[in-house]
Amino acid sequence: MTDLSLSAPAQTGLRTLLGGLYAIWLREVKRAVRDRGQFVGGVSRPLLWVLILGIGLNPYFRGEIYGEVRFVVPYTYLQFIFPAVIALNIMYTSVQAAVSTIWDREFGFLREILVSPMPRLIVLLGKVLGGTTVALFHGSLVLALASFADVSLSAGDIVRGLSLMFLLAFGLTSLGIVIANRIRSFEGFGVFSNAVILPLYFTSSSIFPLDPSLTAAQTKVVYPEWLVVMVQWNPLTYAVDSLRGAFIHFNQFDPKLGPIVLAVMAVFFFAIAWRDFQKV
Amino acid sequence: MSSVALPMVRISGVTKRYGRTLALDDVSFEVRLNELFALLGPNGAGKTTLLHILCTILKPDSGTASIDGVDVIASPLRARQNIGVVFQEPSLDDRLTVYENLNFHGLVYGVPTALRRRRIDELMQLVELTAWRDKLVRTLSSGMKRRLEIARALVHDARVLFLDEPTVGLDAQSRARLWQHVQALRQKRELTVIVTTHYIEEMEGCDRVCIIDQGKILGDDAPAGFKRAYGQQIVRVVAIDEAAASELALAYPDLATRKDTEIILKSSGDAFAESLLARFAGRIRKFSVEEPSLESVFLSLTGRELRDQAAGPRERTYQFGKRGGEHTR
Repeated sequence: MTDLSLSAPAQTGLRTLLGGLYAIWLREVKRAVRDRGQFVGGVSRPLLWVLILGIGLNPYFRGEIYGEVRFVVPYTYLQFIFPAVIALNIMYTSVQAAVSTIWDREFGFLREILVSPMPRLIVLLGKVLGGTTVALFHGSLVLALASFADVSLSAGDIVRGLSLMFLLAFGLTSLGIVIANRIRSFEGFGVFSNAVILPLYFTSSSIFPLDPSLTAAQTKVVYPEWLVVMVQWNPLTYAVDSLRGAFIHFNQFDPKLGPIVLAVMAVFFFAIAWRDFQKV
Repeated sequence: MSSVALPMVRISGVTKRYGRTLALDDVSFEVRLNELFALLGPNGAGKTTLLHILCTILKPDSGTASIDGVDVIASPLRARQNIGVVFQEPSLDDRLTVYENLNFHGLVYGVPTALRRRRIDELMQLVELTAWRDKLVRTLSSGMKRRLEIARALVHDARVLFLDEPTVGLDAQSRARLWQHVQALRQKRELTVIVTTHYIEEMEGCDRVCIIDQGKILGDDAPAGFKRAYGQQIVRVVAIDEAAASELALAYPDLATRKDTEIILKSSGDAFAESLLARFAGRIRKFSVEEPSLESVFLSLTGRELRDQAAGPRERTYQFGKRGGEHTR
């Protein structure tokens, strides 16, 4: 009897599901690791934002309020954008991870997955977790610049930060898959993802604070109302805010709000992605 | 095995429409255990649609289909454990290595670790890819990719192997090799194979052939049986001009199929050929007598040649339906 002859029925149940989940996750991670371009982007983006934008704008991050010159928020600009750059790196990588969905569809691998006995939920979860892992890694790359940005991190900060980063990456990867399901081509996806990522990033109070020392009425005098509204309605505002809470202990909004928004985003986008995926 | 008498694959009354196009029209057949079963038909005949229904990625409008007694419509996940599929278009991940592609498949189908490793090694040997184990799939030739896909489909305990146009795009040598590998696999393990093709010459080695055209089954028999029943000697004539062709076609209205100056005649034997030659000698540019083959069977069943893709409106509609049937996007 050779190994090719039919053996006992394949193992079933939880072990099979976990094995399949692992295989799909591993494939996503391997593909990302082998894609040099992604890694270059993951390294160059934080360097660009922290080194050039951060250092360049650092001296100007002060304002005169009631005749007194001080930092707008009690932090340097480098410290202020440090958590936001983590969010940016996660955003790009998460949404890019969804390109593999388009890839699978265009190059036929999707069929291999669709005729397998893996339930669709597991397939989707594996894909999202794979993208999340890579995004989490790219987000963590930014942490290497912490001492340069004068951000001192305790172990507790890092653990809290990483779990928030995980939630963010999970939600955004799901969002990427939702977008990818509606877009047919690689080129279209590139354009669309940039058109989603950058506006979301810029209006998340990531690169400028809504001055906390101002009252709501004063804020609306200093900033145009539409901008304030956009910032307040942008869910990423709260994601960035919660990362600031974890890494530099500064919150512009209620600290409880961030984790809640992140969790809701993760669940909501994953649910939509799942609904879409069942129709494939 | 106790299931020898039971059909391995059973399809009954399957109908599938794409819009107004009827892709499958009340199709029924059975495939027995260990059979090498071929679905033969021109492009757009409904072969791939039928295969996709059996592979559980497409639901028929009506009818039932089962594999090893498992209903593919009611319990697709269970049915998938029993099937291995090689699609018409490649479905490998070309950024993974040969081994990684096989291992992915084994994991997703829940093949236990030790068995998975041994089986992958053996399959790689069988399809002669052991030397390429750690090469990225994108560096492989298309023949090698096909072989890898067949090996992959058998990493788990697939009892039925579906091959959708497995030899399209391969050169003659790779094609022959691919069939050798399929035969070798069938000797190593209990395996029912269902293959679709529009290459008629590949059907000769199959146990049974099912001819399908425009969504309908036209016949279902062993190649030899077909040849006995329908196989007819054929006379192929190319006339020197249109006028001669018309006259020739008019002379045998029931027997002739005409395409420009080429006329194909169902021959009743050598005497027929001789009388034809005597009558039209001088006005014939080419003349050949072809012995019964599946080609001639197809011709007599459908009135068309298999490679005859000069499609009329109806065929074009079918082609459209087939494209519209890209249900996996």
